[in-house]
Amino acid sequence: MTDNFERELRFLQLRFIGKILAGFTHESKNYLAIIKESAGLIDDMIKLGKSGEAASSQFLEITHSIEEQIEKSTGLFKYLNRFSHRMDTRLSAFNCNEALEELMALINRFANQKRIELAKDFQQDMPLIYGNPSLIQFLVFSFLEETIKTLDKNSRIIIKTGTANGSIIIKIITDGNLIEAEREKEDFPYETYNAVLKHLEGKITPESGVKTFTFPLKVSDI
Amino acid sequence: MSHTKVLLVDDEVEFASALAERLQMRDYDVKTASNGLEAMALFHGSPPDIVILDLRIPGMDGLEILKNIKIFDPTIEVLILTGHGDVESVAEGMKNGAFEYIMKPIDIGELTSKIDMAMKKRTGSRA
Repeated sequence: MTDNFERELRFLQLRFIGKILAGFTHESKNYLAIIKESAGLIDDMIKLGKSGEAASSQFLEITHSIEEQIEKSTGLFKYLNRFSHRMDTRLSAFNCNEALEELMALINRFANQKRIELAKDFQQDMPLIYGNPSLIQFLVFSFLEETIKTLDKNSRIIIKTGTANGSIIIKIITDGNLIEAEREKEDFPYETYNAVLKHLEGKITPESGVKTFTFPLKVSDI
Repeated sequence: MSHTKVLLVDDEVEFASALAERLQMRDYDVKTASNGLEAMALFHGSPPDIVILDLRIPGMDGLEILKNIKIFDPTIEVLILTGHGDVESVAEGMKNGAFEYIMKPIDIGELTSKIDMAMKKRTGSRA
């Protein structure tokens, strides 16, 4: 690998982590904003001396909403924590579905902005594999981000996983209209991503509406 | 009594409804919209004095809504509501005539103070 390639890869990976953190902090701030307004509303109601059955029922509704926001935040924290620890080692045994699920949770906001639905269609009995989950997340994110950019609103992207001929298969399937003008002006570093794929001994097969990643299956003995 | 007419545009429905109720308790006349189309329909049905606008609402560019508001009536003041540190979009909003911006989670006192200042400006512009 050349110095230029290393530099480009480092830049793209830092950009990827930055995007994940930006999405995470945005989402967290939204949860905190709801909690703060809900607590403020309870405060206002008490100060105004609101009481009785209707007020009690509203208090309960607000506290449930606060609990719900805390649960959502906790879920997101769990995903970010797991995502971060995947970078602890270069190689590890991991479940591909779990790695993709956390990636989808962390980038859901970007899809929602364009009213694009991210859906999963995972093979349930995926074996644990041995490899670099961070690099796979990075690759899938990069192609997903590009796909989100090129799709019109109200589209759908399905992430499908499976196994075939001793390989792990990850498919990004799109269901929606392409925005041609945006697609043409994008400067997408295919060469860098292809080199990463090669490093992972994987390959990508782009077809109309489907990008298929194939990685050789190295089943973990853990 | 304030009775300033406020349109709050945010896709976080629980946030918008709690904030709307708190503003109503402070005598603001508040309507909420969770997307661009709903916002524009409410806006044209009964033009507000002040719009509190999340620029990143799904399905429609918040900046476009801001531009449409300013074309319809430049004296209607817009406060940008943002949950993230996207300085560029806030700067773009300010460039397109927004009165101020406020970060989430908000401080109700800071928000009402900005609404009142925006209303003062609107009243002055119309005098």
